[in-house]
Amino acid sequence: MNAPTLSVSHLTKRFGAAATEVVAVRDVSLEVAPGEVVLIMGPSGSGKTTLLLMLGALLRASEGEIRLDGEVLSALPERKLPSIRLRRFGFVFQDFNLLSALSALENVAIVAELAGVRSKDARARATTLLTELGLDRRLHFLPEKLSGGEKQRVAIARALANGPTFILADEPTANLDSKIGHEMMRLLRSIAKEQGRSIVIVSHDQRIKDIADRVLWLEDGQFKEATAMVVDPVCQMRTEQGAAVAAVWDGERFSFCSRGCRDEFLAAPYRFFADAEASGPHEAALREAVRREAALAGARK
Amino acid sequence: MLHLAQRNLFQSRTKAVLAVGGVALAFMLIFSLDAVLAGLEGRIAGFIERTGADVWVAQSGVRNMHMASSTIPRAVVDQVRGIDGVAEAAPVRYLTNVMVKDDERYLAYVIGLPEGATMGIPMKIASGDAYPRPGEVVVDGALRQEGATVGDTVRILGSDFRIGGLAEGLASTLSSLAFIRLDDFDRLLGNATTTSYVLARVAPGVSADEVAARIEAAVPAVTASSTTRFAEQERKVVRDMSTEIAVIMNLAGFLIGLAVMALSIYTVTVSRLPEFGLLKALGASRRHCYGVVLGQAALTVALGFGVGLALTFAASLLAPLIDPLLYMQVTWPSVAKAAAISLVVAGLAAIAPIAQISAVDPAIVFRRKVA
Repeated sequence: MNAPTLSVSHLTKRFGAAATEVVAVRDVSLEVAPGEVVLIMGPSGSGKTTLLLMLGALLRASEGEIRLDGEVLSALPERKLPSIRLRRFGFVFQDFNLLSALSALENVAIVAELAGVRSKDARARATTLLTELGLDRRLHFLPEKLSGGEKQRVAIARALANGPTFILADEPTANLDSKIGHEMMRLLRSIAKEQGRSIVIVSHDQRIKDIADRVLWLEDGQFKEATAMVVDPVCQMRTEQGAAVAAVWDGERFSFCSRGCRDEFLAAPYRFFADAEASGPHEAALREAVRREAALAGARK
Repeated sequence: MLHLAQRNLFQSRTKAVLAVGGVALAFMLIFSLDAVLAGLEGRIAGFIERTGADVWVAQSGVRNMHMASSTIPRAVVDQVRGIDGVAEAAPVRYLTNVMVKDDERYLAYVIGLPEGATMGIPMKIASGDAYPRPGEVVVDGALRQEGATVGDTVRILGSDFRIGGLAEGLASTLSSLAFIRLDDFDRLLGNATTTSYVLARVAPGVSADEVAARIEAAVPAVTASSTTRFAEQERKVVRDMSTEIAVIMNLAGFLIGLAVMALSIYTVTVSRLPEFGLLKALGASRRHCYGVVLGQAALTVALGFGVGLALTFAASLLAPLIDPLLYMQVTWPSVAKAAAISLVVAGLAAIAPIAQISAVDPAIVFRRKVA
């Protein structure tokens, strides 16, 4: 793993005192690498939002330390935190939370303007981001005229406006239908992978597991288990490594979502390598396998 | 941030119109009262300024006409004529009384002018003559509005006078003017040895103030003032009489404007508190958030100020059509005063919303929908 973007160690948050004390987050440690997508799941009241608020420099921890790109956020004075949030974090919310009086373009540009970018430049930057997200025909629409998916894309563009290294997303698919929700997740993943931004998502949505590099389960303010995710080379589904069906081929171990996928793979492995978008430790082996399989096929002919 | 302030303010046009309209009416109240008073001052001092005289000589200690009484020997006229720098001098008698026409009574300054007067005559005549003949009176539009025409009869100081001319631009809501011959004036009051004032015209290139000083030095028991000073003193008297009313009405306008402003800015801000929470969560500093509120207040006040001023100008054009005596004059000092008031109003109106924003927790955005 590269040097982590975000490093959290022994983070605790208490509310109240003595008999009324509630420990919302208890001794949590976490590291998020550049380009990594981490999904935090857990039941209601487990401390997810409290943890998210602390990670986003919106709530001070009772104990522990948060480092962002090496800087200790938890030690910074209150007056410096808005600037950190503005320049280093991007936020994506469940309810999109766009400013109702501003157009899509202005909702994105205002974040850059707050960071000191000249209005003209901020608008140009916002136009570029929204165009990249397919909203070039919606630039001047007010939020009330946008669909849920469009609003969330505006929110994502806003989160990217100041080029943050870290994006925090709170239930980003909760108000989207299945198809649009899936599109949003793919979008967030591509942002993480192509732009090297780290993303932490808090969600109840099981489908998000598909795009996460890691899934963390928070319960009673603590991480109970961490699940590594793997990509099925046949159907491209992301699957928990522990629950995946495994197979070894050519000295390498591959993981599948089901026996059907495993059997299909073993019948003709080379068929799945050309389009594989798997990344991680298997990628080099897969590419090599494609090359050798193609050579074998040529020799048979 | 001003952009956001503008959008927040105008997203609901009804609310914006109510807010700006309320502030505009408050400013109109301030402007209108000032304009009416300035118009009154202008009209009352206008006669003095347009008499054609350069120096006014009055009884010692008298420096204006309104609410004043002056009696000096008519011989002073000749004394003034003999002073170096004086080109011309003439007596003018003056009395505040009433004119009666068809049982209607009108408060009037009755001015007695000598035959062939070149100073103190009405400058603008709508019909008839500017010079009253014996038994005639030249009156201002106050009577014309009541249907008076040349040839009609009015009663002044118990005697009937034929209207010989109708003047314009001299009467105010406070009083009108009636010009009669000095002989008639003397006959009515029974004393031909005194006058109220002596009007003097100075020789070309001579300072009126300098001549006034010479008159005071040479003629005992008189006060001589240049026309400029005499008119200014007249304005000051009117101003002093209306100061308390003006202060009360300005205060009323200020409080109404403040109440409307504070309520509208507070409503706009409180309805958007979650959005301010969002801005804070995204990284907006308090300065940014306060800037939005102050921007809203400043925009509302600026628009209200502009609309209020425009309405007052419109009212000043319409007022004489409704009542010829109602003359409104918008002055720069009045505009400057209202501008200063507007800054105070905007600042005060923003205090409560700023306190609300200061208290809003940015974490609110993770707990509820903001818009």
